[in-house]
Amino acid sequence: MSGSAHSEHAESKVRYGMVIDLDKCTGCGACSVACQQENNVSFRPDESDKLRTLSWMTLYRLENGAGYPDYRAAMLPRPCMHCDSPHHSPCTFVCPVNATIRDEHTGIVDHVAVRCIGCRYCMVACPYHARSFNWWDPKWPKSMEAMLTPEVSPRMRGVVEKCTFCHHRLNLARDRARLNGEDPDSVVYTPACAEVCPTGAITFGNLKDPNSDVAKLAKDPRAFRLLEKLHTEPKVYYLSSAQWIRRQSDNGL
Amino acid sequence: MSLGRRAFLQFVGGAIGGTLLTPIPWKLADDSAIWTQNWSWRPSPERGEITRVRSVCQLCPGGCGITARLVNGRRAVAVTGNEAHALSGGGVCPMGASSLQYLYAPYRIQQPLKQMGSRGDSKGFKPVSWAEALKEVTAKLTKLRSEGKSHTVACLTGQKRSTMARLWKRFLTAYGSPNFYTMPDAADSMRLAVALTTGRDAEVGFLWDKATYVLNFGAPLLEGWGSPVYLQKVFGRWQTEKPGVPRTVLVHVESRASLTASKAHRWIACNPGTEAALALGIAHVLVRDKLYDAAFVAEKVFGFEDWTDATGAQRKGFRNVVLAKYGVEETAKITGVAPQTIQDLARELAKQKHALVVWGQDKGDKPNSLYHDLAFLALNALLGTLTPSGTVVLVPPDPWGDLPEPVLDTEAYRGAGQTALGRPSTVPRTKAPVNTVLPFLEALASGSEYPVELLFIHEANPAYSLPETALVTQALQKAAMVVSFSSFMDETTQWADIILPNHTALERLDDVIGLPGAPYVYYALASPIVKPLYDTKGTGDVLLNLAAAVGGGVAESHPWKTYEEVLKATVASIAKAGTGLVATAGSFDPASVLPGRPLQPNFKDAADLWNKLKAGACWVDAPAAVESFATPSERYELACQGLMVSISPTAADDLFMPRFHPLKPSGEESEFPLLLVAYASLMLSEGYVPNTPFMNKLLPDDVLRKQDVFVEIHPETARTLGLADKAAAVLKTPRGETPVRVRLTTAVKPGVVAAPQGFGHTAYDEYVQQKGFNANSLVEVQLDPITGLGTLWATRAQLRRA
Repeated sequence: MSGSAHSEHAESKVRYGMVIDLDKCTGCGACSVACQQENNVSFRPDESDKLRTLSWMTLYRLENGAGYPDYRAAMLPRPCMHCDSPHHSPCTFVCPVNATIRDEHTGIVDHVAVRCIGCRYCMVACPYHARSFNWWDPKWPKSMEAMLTPEVSPRMRGVVEKCTFCHHRLNLARDRARLNGEDPDSVVYTPACAEVCPTGAITFGNLKDPNSDVAKLAKDPRAFRLLEKLHTEPKVYYLSSAQWIRRQSDNGL
Repeated sequence: MSLGRRAFLQFVGGAIGGTLLTPIPWKLADDSAIWTQNWSWRPSPERGEITRVRSVCQLCPGGCGITARLVNGRRAVAVTGNEAHALSGGGVCPMGASSLQYLYAPYRIQQPLKQMGSRGDSKGFKPVSWAEALKEVTAKLTKLRSEGKSHTVACLTGQKRSTMARLWKRFLTAYGSPNFYTMPDAADSMRLAVALTTGRDAEVGFLWDKATYVLNFGAPLLEGWGSPVYLQKVFGRWQTEKPGVPRTVLVHVESRASLTASKAHRWIACNPGTEAALALGIAHVLVRDKLYDAAFVAEKVFGFEDWTDATGAQRKGFRNVVLAKYGVEETAKITGVAPQTIQDLARELAKQKHALVVWGQDKGDKPNSLYHDLAFLALNALLGTLTPSGTVVLVPPDPWGDLPEPVLDTEAYRGAGQTALGRPSTVPRTKAPVNTVLPFLEALASGSEYPVELLFIHEANPAYSLPETALVTQALQKAAMVVSFSSFMDETTQWADIILPNHTALERLDDVIGLPGAPYVYYALASPIVKPLYDTKGTGDVLLNLAAAVGGGVAESHPWKTYEEVLKATVASIAKAGTGLVATAGSFDPASVLPGRPLQPNFKDAADLWNKLKAGACWVDAPAAVESFATPSERYELACQGLMVSISPTAADDLFMPRFHPLKPSGEESEFPLLLVAYASLMLSEGYVPNTPFMNKLLPDDVLRKQDVFVEIHPETARTLGLADKAAAVLKTPRGETPVRVRLTTAVKPGVVAAPQGFGHTAYDEYVQQKGFNANSLVEVQLDPITGLGTLWATRAQLRRA
């Protein structure tokens, strides 16, 4: 068995993670669009059935529940949390075919669509609703097939898909590092969502590198994670100074 | 030989065991897995070398830097931000990020088309050659000119901040028509207000990075107003803690809890459309308690004290008017903001070292009431933000001088003498251009003045995106001939006789002039990222072609062979002006640009500047500081003497100065007890281009569910109407009615209905069509009685159970 036992790789010095500053996030949606484009996420004429739609980076509206004019809303972008709980993430634990596994070297929870048998145990297990199922064959308008990127394969009907922290970008960066004779474990890369965020709300990097922005921000007093009580140990942190936002982090989304 | 039961089982067992020892089952399982995942209809993207091209986005006036990723140099697969761009620094908005879905849209027009059936029949278009189509348009242009009807040619362009707009204007001037229009913009009224008060033609720029306290009257800073990504970047800086630097405080005034209101440090909820009254109420407190910038007002302001007009009549000044009319109690009654809050806001503002007052609406595409623009400007003037050390600057739209004057022949002179169709005589004569689009369309629809023989529509979809869509469709039908330059089969283009499709924004060379709301003089070139996919032509080139074919003064006025030459001429004049630099992120600090301190050029000559701009960089300069005013009084005019021609000399004193001037919406309150406000969002496009499939995925299912669009109402409103959350209802205004569903939320005030803009398309494809209703077909435009510009604030509405 390779890579599934957490303790075997306790030495890894890389743990990619993300910090999303909700005080900066304006909920514009650029991250989600960039993600769809980067990863060939397919779309249909009607995208309003949120139980059937494919979405790797979903925006949730949080509300403080107060009456007019004390009402406030905030948007919360939700990628895959890449849970770092010991031994297994909730999804990797239940996958019968090793289609979804955690790369213990980087901490990224991968999903290999061609191995996936579509049982959707992982979707049930994921407390963050981070996974979507391909209920239909992906179909693009003929002229739009030209804009599919070769870096990520389009998925097929009957498999699950989810955010990969753009690990194809990591692979490219690691290849480049090897070619340049550098340490592939020291590479820094940026997922598509963090790259386009106009307010700089999304920070990405190695949580184990104490000098990285992401590691510093994860220790910020404003930092929190979603559903921490489940001990899934998400590697996606949120920052907010608003109590009413922080309070919602432990409720279901 | 007989096969016993035992032997049979042994044989089967042996066969299974034997097969399992061969690779056959594994090979079969593998093959079937591969087979099931390689359906022929699942596309396999072609691989190849990946390259990057940098350019500037043209989908809105925001002027953001973009990077396109290409496979084998011809297939664009992604558009992201350009991290080297000085002002958008790697960020994009959802529309910019999905711009490839316009390039590769199935609803693109692929060659010139001519309507062979009856007008408006989307099936009646037949392909024609470029030569044929251009010949027909040239023939019409030549005929009208020879008949002395050149003024009956009109143009409406949506590309407001580009050399294209200047080229259109130039073409019409040389041809002999005053009927040049751009799609409505907040600058239409603001430039008039600036011209009246300061005597200059300029837009207002705000020093966002310098301000320590921003009082924002209604501008959705985080939802697409101004230059969206630039402002998001500014907001990101405001929200970043810097040791020793106090955070900039954003106070937002609006009726609805928009995202900007929610993200602001403080939200002041007012009644819809009463922001200007609140501004005057605050001005009242500043004047009453002597909290205003007394030195600036004493030395640089006219009309604060009582004044004498040109006829010698004694008139009340701003001080007396505002003291008498906008008392805290009165303002509180109009705005619904508590009297104490008004006083606190005034005191807080006065305390600030660098206060800033901002105002606006939607995505900056709606002109304001002139008096309201004056009111917000006045509040800035009282706070002294217009001084060289203040937070407000005047950004000239054309700092490096325009193209050479067009050559005017006799017909051009004759045309120049004609009044623009529908233009009211009250429009003040200032240096600012006048853009009376709606009066033009009204006059065209009613046929009240002269007919329009030829209407050019360029990069605009007025039949969808102008308020009062019914009026636009009527007007389109009245024009004798409509030529559309649209790249897409949109609602307006369906009414065209001839379509001369433009390259899309990502296929053409074009430019962006100025960034709305930013305190910089800005110029950028947008280079094509791919070769044109279809048989389209850039409209700039087509226009030069038409000019040459018409001949005479029109041809002489357009000495360029290609649009690229025109752009090169513009870039050459920037290089000649000798200030400003090619800014790149990292080496350029947006906060360091201060008015009156021109930047030192970092390029050699025009050719060098051209190459740098073509590579996706932008040119930035600081605007001049406001040292003096070019008004009759040579001061900032709180009482606008320029309005003397617009209003009768016997008019009341307050008609010359800022005032709260709501226009009465039509309909009876008994029939329409609610107020409808339409809101903009970055997830929704309500302009020239529709929503992309990528953007549709962002929309929550309590905004759009299947074909139903949700309007927001307060639970109290719902209770009185007997509506439950998500219930179906009918929304009716004096302009029309539509089925809706309701979302109960305390984000809106009781009695208000908030509807999203950007739905209800009937054109394009199945990804866009049949989703809800177009808010523009329900809202009511009110023409400003002075400027004739179409303003929008709230429409009376009725909501009933379906």
